[in-house]
Amino acid sequence: MLITRRAAGKLAGTAAALALLRAEGARAADQVVKVGINLPFTGADAEDAIRIFDGAVLAFDEANETHAVPGITFQYDKYDDGTATAGQYDPAQAATNARKMVSDPATIAAIGPEMSGSGKAMAPILSQGDLATVTPSSTNPDITNPKFAAQYMPAGKAIYFRTVTTDAFQGPNMANYVAETLKAKSVYVLDDSGAYGVGIADSFQGQAEKKGVKILGRDRLDPKAADYSAVLTKIKALAPEALYYGGVMQAGVKVVKQSYDILPGIIKAGGDGVYSNEMLTAVGFPAAEGWYASIASPHLTADPAAKAFMAAYQKKFGFAGTDYAITAYAGAQVIIAAVKGLKAAGKPIDRHTVRDAIQALHTQTLLGPTSFDQYGDLTDKTVSIFQFKQDAKGKPDDLIDQTVYIGVAPSA
Amino acid sequence: MSLTTILLQQTINGLSLGAMYALLALGFTLVYGILELINFSHFNVFMFGSFIGMFVLQALGVQGQATVLHGLPLVGALVLALVTVMLACGTLGVVIERLALRPLRNVKGPAAMITTIGVSYIIYNVVLLAFGAESKNYPNPMPPVAVDVGGATLRLREVLIWVIALVLMVALWVFVQRSRMGKAMRATAQDAEAARMMGVEVDRVIVAAFFIGSALAGAGALIFGIYYNFTNYNIGFIAGLRAFTAAVLGGIGNVPGAMVGGVLIGLIEAIVSGGLLEVVVGPFASAAWADVWIFSILVLVLVFRPAGLFGRMAPTKS
Repeated sequence: MLITRRAAGKLAGTAAALALLRAEGARAADQVVKVGINLPFTGADAEDAIRIFDGAVLAFDEANETHAVPGITFQYDKYDDGTATAGQYDPAQAATNARKMVSDPATIAAIGPEMSGSGKAMAPILSQGDLATVTPSSTNPDITNPKFAAQYMPAGKAIYFRTVTTDAFQGPNMANYVAETLKAKSVYVLDDSGAYGVGIADSFQGQAEKKGVKILGRDRLDPKAADYSAVLTKIKALAPEALYYGGVMQAGVKVVKQSYDILPGIIKAGGDGVYSNEMLTAVGFPAAEGWYASIASPHLTADPAAKAFMAAYQKKFGFAGTDYAITAYAGAQVIIAAVKGLKAAGKPIDRHTVRDAIQALHTQTLLGPTSFDQYGDLTDKTVSIFQFKQDAKGKPDDLIDQTVYIGVAPSA
Repeated sequence: MSLTTILLQQTINGLSLGAMYALLALGFTLVYGILELINFSHFNVFMFGSFIGMFVLQALGVQGQATVLHGLPLVGALVLALVTVMLACGTLGVVIERLALRPLRNVKGPAAMITTIGVSYIIYNVVLLAFGAESKNYPNPMPPVAVDVGGATLRLREVLIWVIALVLMVALWVFVQRSRMGKAMRATAQDAEAARMMGVEVDRVIVAAFFIGSALAGAGALIFGIYYNFTNYNIGFIAGLRAFTAAVLGGIGNVPGAMVGGVLIGLIEAIVSGGLLEVVVGPFASAAWADVWIFSILVLVLVFRPAGLFGRMAPTKS
């Protein structure tokens, strides 16, 4: 077949246009807005990062399919702030990712990070760029604390919105639970040296002290070291009734495994860093059995309101959604609602208007009525507590099957 | 727990750590003794070994902590895993030597050392990409048998570590001192040129050093997995660095030095992290400061004994 140059050009053009259409699912006139999703896909927290990512993806895909915002197509860019060198989230990489997002004018908002250590690195850059992010799981209170505004929101406006509450509630509420419900008289506190781990351990320790629980000591672990037996032996000698671990799973895997051998029979608790799939895949039972873990959101995976979400999530990704997949979905809902409001009001859609819209938003998400205070914190402060309990009949790597929901943590 | 009990328990902890470091340190020392080359790929040969051990145990049907073996099946599984891991790591060491280091044999300067860093990162990233970043639940077929020694707990797996490490180290010692190849190794270490003139096949000696050193790292890796019940792609770095420190502390190039250095580093780590010096140095005696202590001791030893505890100052090679 003879193809003239012009015909070939036409063909190629049509093919390219078709490819674009199929890839984006967008109508020709749609404005494409980009949302950067920054999570640690490399390293110890990868499994949880994927579950969170999928929660947000589900929301944007649904919005595109149902044309939730007429004339707008959402596109998400995946950013990985985990590095092989760090073995987990890497604040330096998070800062680089934040710069990339800010320098792309099509990016109108972001989702993430998962970890507060990354959040501390990203917040100043996002603030200067006036780019709002909604984090589904980063809970360190400093980032939205007005006391540190010069550091984390140098441009003056809140850009770090959360669909979870903070460790200012998560740590202390767990301390209340340990003191009042579990009636522990003494506790030893460990952290993993990270921003999140140190912060939540501090807030736990402060409240536990107030509740009259004796703090027998506090140690900081190197998350890359393999051996904590010396520290745990020291703790054993002090005979505490409870152990609290503030941190994520890189150190957590070893804390849980080794404390199972060295400190059997005492109360063990942690924050949302411990409410992790790695407790099941990397630690496993019996070592994980009995650990208490909190999350900084209401427990919704079994809630009737989230039933449709859980079904759609399972169908699309082949595994069950988690509570932080729900907060990620809610985070995406927040961004979609903000864009929808702007579009309906006929305003331009860019990162500045989107930030202002998120700040002023009162909307209904999967979490219920959702709004933020002037610093970006969620107005709802619910902390939920779970306990790991093996269910031989359940799926071995499903957090919902292998934990028992204890209830909402006492807030005072 | 009384102070004696704590001290006893921390000694048990430290000896187990030390046995692992010593096995790893031997690889550094063997290669350095012969080539005067610091082989940084050793870090990740160790890590690679832990994965091989995991696959062998899993293939034998040991999953996580759920499967516990006793008697002959236990010994069989451990021996099979140990032999496979040692062969696999030894082979990897030889391949690294053949492909990446032999071509650089006569290049002066740090080129060969930099190459080993490169090889180290290749192994690290290949394992990361192939098996993922998350920690693995290491199969542990050991029954949870423990005895009480003066209030301290001594577990079967600690005894296992000591026995394996001791047997391998004694075997290495006998090999180096008594066998023909061991003699050739010592000769090459003293003066490669003269050894070559006396008919020693230096290339074979070097291959043997890489094989033995890497195989010992493999043994250390299997022990690591069974002891800590986890592995991931980045375990090599800290363990490798401490073992390297142990080799330097004992006197790099010196086989008994590496053994003693490893045990010493393990004990220091346990004593510092265990807070046993709290009365003396207050909050500096804690896990967070362990590395500062370990490396300060290294610096001090090197200042006063530049050749390490057991090393002798060698005459400059021409």
